[in-house]
Amino acid sequence: METASELAVRLTKASRKKLWDVYNTFNWPDALQKDAWYMPPELISLYGTPVYDALNEEQRKSLSLYELGNFFSLVLQGERPLVQGLVHRLYAKGNTVPVNEYLHHFVDEENKHMVMFGEFCNRYVGKVYPEKKITLSREYAKGEEEVAFYCKVMVVEELGDYYNLAIEKDERVDALVREINKVHHVDEARHLAFGRVQLAELFERYSPDWSADTLAGFRQWLADYLRASWGDYYNPTMYRDAGLADAYELRQLAMSHPAGVEFRKLASAKIVAYFIKTGLLAEEPSL
Amino acid sequence: MSEVTCTMQESEIRTKLRNWIVKHTKAASKTAFTDETHILEEGILSSLDIVEFVLFIESLRGEDVDTDDIEPQVFTSINTLYAAFFTQVT
Repeated sequence: METASELAVRLTKASRKKLWDVYNTFNWPDALQKDAWYMPPELISLYGTPVYDALNEEQRKSLSLYELGNFFSLVLQGERPLVQGLVHRLYAKGNTVPVNEYLHHFVDEENKHMVMFGEFCNRYVGKVYPEKKITLSREYAKGEEEVAFYCKVMVVEELGDYYNLAIEKDERVDALVREINKVHHVDEARHLAFGRVQLAELFERYSPDWSADTLAGFRQWLADYLRASWGDYYNPTMYRDAGLADAYELRQLAMSHPAGVEFRKLASAKIVAYFIKTGLLAEEPSL
Repeated sequence: MSEVTCTMQESEIRTKLRNWIVKHTKAASKTAFTDETHILEEGILSSLDIVEFVLFIESLRGEDVDTDDIEPQVFTSINTLYAAFFTQVT
């Protein structure tokens, strides 16, 4: 099997071939296309619930803009600690030259994504939605923090990529929105390829020395992290911005509704299968 | 279904905070939980639970919480939570 270092050589070559300039790639129009969708209806967090059914098309399309703004914001917010972590790992002891070279591209591309999402949200949604996370320090077993870091990378990117792919293909969606999702997907495909191999190598290297309690605790954390990451897609502020009442209750409704549960299961299938195959999870988590 | 605002009495807010924590904790013992219990130190809630808890607090306050301005110590106990999020607005 190809190592992360061998893979990094190919990915660096691809990143250089597809190098792009975030400041000159998009023509930012004064306004988005009227009457278009911004998030495809099937990806709207309330889709399939009675509340969604009761909205008229204008309300649904308005909600789709705030859903998209929330999606871009949560990816941007997820990329902030990702870049921080990648920079921390640049030239770390034990890195090969090809891995360092690729990490430079990884950081560069993630930074461009944040520029792109920030520009879109500020122009058309009026803000970047803040995150609600509180960082608490904790003790880790040897290598556990490394493994957890790449798990977080994989979760934010795999879930995001499910949306990117669906949005870029959807002809009902505004052209600029589709373009942004396409650009993001092309870079993310490389990041995910690297993350998959790098994470599997780290887990194989460190987890054999973890106690049974550490491994069980780690798996519990990972399942909880995946669940919590999905929670970000049901942002009460986004519902309020779309003019919907009882925003917190809407979040509870959408998250617990069978349509939402089924959607999260479908959209998480790829990342969950990877986690189970590598042993990072022992079983499918409830989402 | 209506969003709760801070016209609630202190005792009602404290009860709602307590009930939310008891419902969501994975900790084994729920009976000894009081307004002084250390929520994070004793593992009553995890950092991942806090995101959900902040959204619940926002629904009680009727306005968003800016977590950039919050120190983790705010989540020490029901007493510190009440002081940080509800004393200025009632």
